[in-house]
Amino acid sequence: MSALRDSQARFLDDIFGDGPLDSRRAVYRRNVLANLHDALAATYPVVRRLVGEPFFREAAERFARAHPSRSGDLHRFGEGFGQFLSRYPHAAGLSYLPGVARLEWAVAASFHAADPGRVDFERLAALPEPERVRVRFRLQAGAHLIFSDYPIAAIWEANQPGRDGTPLRAEGEDRTLVFREGLGVRVRSLEPLDWRFLRAVAVGATMEALAGDAEFAVNLERLLVEWTGARVIDDFALDGARGVAAISAARG
Amino acid sequence: MTRGAPAGLGLRAPHYREAWERRPPLALVEVHSENFFGGGGEPLAWLERFRSAYPLSLHGVGLSLGSADPLDETHLERLERLVRRFDPRFVSEHLSWSSVGGRHANDLLPLPFTGEALEHVVARVVRVQDRLGRRILVENVSRYCNLPESAIPEPEFLAEVARQSGCGVLLDVNNIWVNAANVGLDSRAYLAAIDPASVEEMHVAGHERVDGLLVDTHGARVDEAVWTLYREAVRRFGPKPTIVEWDVALPTLDVLLEEVARVAAA
Repeated sequence: MSALRDSQARFLDDIFGDGPLDSRRAVYRRNVLANLHDALAATYPVVRRLVGEPFFREAAERFARAHPSRSGDLHRFGEGFGQFLSRYPHAAGLSYLPGVARLEWAVAASFHAADPGRVDFERLAALPEPERVRVRFRLQAGAHLIFSDYPIAAIWEANQPGRDGTPLRAEGEDRTLVFREGLGVRVRSLEPLDWRFLRAVAVGATMEALAGDAEFAVNLERLLVEWTGARVIDDFALDGARGVAAISAARG
Repeated sequence: MTRGAPAGLGLRAPHYREAWERRPPLALVEVHSENFFGGGGEPLAWLERFRSAYPLSLHGVGLSLGSADPLDETHLERLERLVRRFDPRFVSEHLSWSSVGGRHANDLLPLPFTGEALEHVVARVVRVQDRLGRRILVENVSRYCNLPESAIPEPEFLAEVARQSGCGVLLDVNNIWVNAANVGLDSRAYLAAIDPASVEEMHVAGHERVDGLLVDTHGARVDEAVWTLYREAVRRFGPKPTIVEWDVALPTLDVLLEEVARVAAA
């Protein structure tokens, strides 16, 4: 296998390197970098709009060379772009940019996520009290919680197609929930209480732990009705029984 | 005279809504498998709809059949899930590679046509077919260079992969034409080297001339010379289901349907 591996490794080194290539291999370099750019542009339309195409193209190419794609599924390429931008010297003046990128990655992931389910309240109500307190709710697969010191949800909203790019708020932190409503992806800025509650659910707090939090306790009914109603909470598991299903915690 | 081949379309997301509303007569709808690897959401909802109205072809672009790396089991598992759910008429991949050392180019890169590569690809096609429990089709890819270590002519390499693995051939007629121009193959001899019994599907697509090379952009109408070669292919292989591919600078659905109509009329 070594001759084949060597040949392929040389080929990729040529493509991702910046040395001179003959016109034939240069076609591959152009195609590969263009595909990776297009994949990032599809995932990060707001970042691209904020910085403009020439800046985006350069950043995308540097990212693609430094952080190669690790999957044959191009939809999985680009997760670290937000982190890359946070260290990209040319974006140093755009402190909100990495947060916007993390939000866009979450939107793209949510788009492909499993459809939300629905909490089986009959099953929940039928549980004996000692078991009910050990219930851990679960967020839907398309839910992502993203905190930023900057108003990323407002910036994202203002840069959707047809909007003029002026955010409703120019300052202040954003606690953003990305989630699926049916097949559609929604982006919402949360109040601190709801944010903290969904974070607690995301990291696997039991019903007992939720009820033990003084602030949650006085709002528990409203919180549960709202977030199960929106199917952001779409399932539950019993503590200790078949473990806790994969929890979709905030990215990054 | 040959009867026209069953003609289908490589369907892309910007056309989903219009294609669903108009439901044009298509013998086959082909999509890229990797666009449906997620757990749910719009892509799979669309695919359910189209599957209810058309025979489906799942055309993979990312399995990297020819890579020296081990087969990506996660990728294969996602493909298997899709195949079992949608029961497509065809499942296809490319005679190419795209990753080595875990680094992916996400492109269809040229294999060296050596005995070592042949043995490797055949073993992997067999593995994939075993895993999916069905025959797959393998497609010839466009290329822009000859690799110095290649010892086997491209059409013989393709024919041997099919013969030894038992897979079918998805013959991309545009890719034959592009390669003939770029690396000096004889396109008629190419057709003659492929066993007609192995060909199950064909592709046509547009290419563009860039710096003296024909680049397989899938971004233009099918070239007249490719239609001529396609008619020869139909004479040799029979009216096999044929897909029109168009991936960049997407035109209106009507333009695509005109190209599809030319397949049926060829």
